[in-house]
Amino acid sequence: MAMLIEECFAALASRRRDELVVTSAGNSSEVWWEVTGDTERTFYLEASMSLSTLFASGMAMGYPDAKFWAFIGDGAFVMNTGLLFVERDLALPNVVSIVVANRCYGATDGVALPNSREIDFAAVARAAGISRVFRFGSVQDLDAGFEESFRSAGPTTVVLDLEAPVRHHESPPFDGPELKYRFGRALEKRFSRKVLP
Amino acid sequence: MEVKSETKSANPPNRDASDVARHVADILSGAGANLVASLPDNWIAPMIRHFDADNRFRHVPVNREESAVGLCSGAFFTGKPGIALMGASGFLTCIYAITKINYTYQIPILFLITLRGDPGDPARFHVSNGLYLRSIIDAIDIPFIDIDRYEDLSKIGTAYRHMSVIGRPYVVGMSRDVLRGNR
Repeated sequence: MAMLIEECFAALASRRRDELVVTSAGNSSEVWWEVTGDTERTFYLEASMSLSTLFASGMAMGYPDAKFWAFIGDGAFVMNTGLLFVERDLALPNVVSIVVANRCYGATDGVALPNSREIDFAAVARAAGISRVFRFGSVQDLDAGFEESFRSAGPTTVVLDLEAPVRHHESPPFDGPELKYRFGRALEKRFSRKVLP
Repeated sequence: MEVKSETKSANPPNRDASDVARHVADILSGAGANLVASLPDNWIAPMIRHFDADNRFRHVPVNREESAVGLCSGAFFTGKPGIALMGASGFLTCIYAITKINYTYQIPILFLITLRGDPGDPARFHVSNGLYLRSIIDAIDIPFIDIDRYEDLSKIGTAYRHMSVIGRPYVVGMSRDVLRGNR
């Protein structure tokens, strides 16, 4: 059972309050941008290559009262499963790592992820010592489990079983420095602290 | 290439690797840093242990050098860019992450690395670092400071502050002698 990414992300966006979001390369950046049009509370880390959740963790350490959602593609996830051990040690209660499990390299024309049907991403996370791991394959299940998985405190990994992308989505229309300043200035305003030089 | 002889001074400095580590931590704390992510090289093992015990810093051991890039780059948005402490070999595995994340978004990060493979390093498996490290650093135009004297360690603080001004990562390479307190 798997969700369409557009429907899944729309469900997440409708539940979002003031969470700060970090997306990863490809589908998560493109679809999150299409669904939310967010220009200030999302950092579209399109050049991520498996580092999006740690990027979010680096931020989250400095904002213990803020909640972070960090998307990571399944291709990136298998590229750097070692990140799970770092996340376990960090044990940040304010980060939800979200694995976009569409079983393909969505950023590169949907080339199949090798052995993807046999990989249980949630089991990998549990085996690495992540204690709060959730897996959703339908929007109904996601809605039903949202409060427990996304709202409760504690380091969390959520695996979203998704269909492979069926249409092209546009990339967020920001270059790197623009995104840095938009996101950084919004943090400064929200948290009343100096972020950018 | 400048060839540096290994220091065997008649009057060696009265300091060791732990003194050097504490001095570097003092410099970085004074510059405002509070996050260090590391992966070991035995030249910097004392420094890693120091940061782990120094409550002015949050020390995060990572298991892949690129993970330090991700973590420290995110920390930039807390107002305090992170420090990635690693060996030369580990740094070379980060080139892609540096050019994709730090260059694309103009996010500074300070790399403290060992100058493995330089004259005086007996490890044959680090020869390639001695041959190619500086060339690769030059090729991606990343600002680089080569430190071979204890008195020059203060440049680490200067690099930490300046990298935020220029919005780019910075690399400080430390010799075996300076890390051991010999020079």
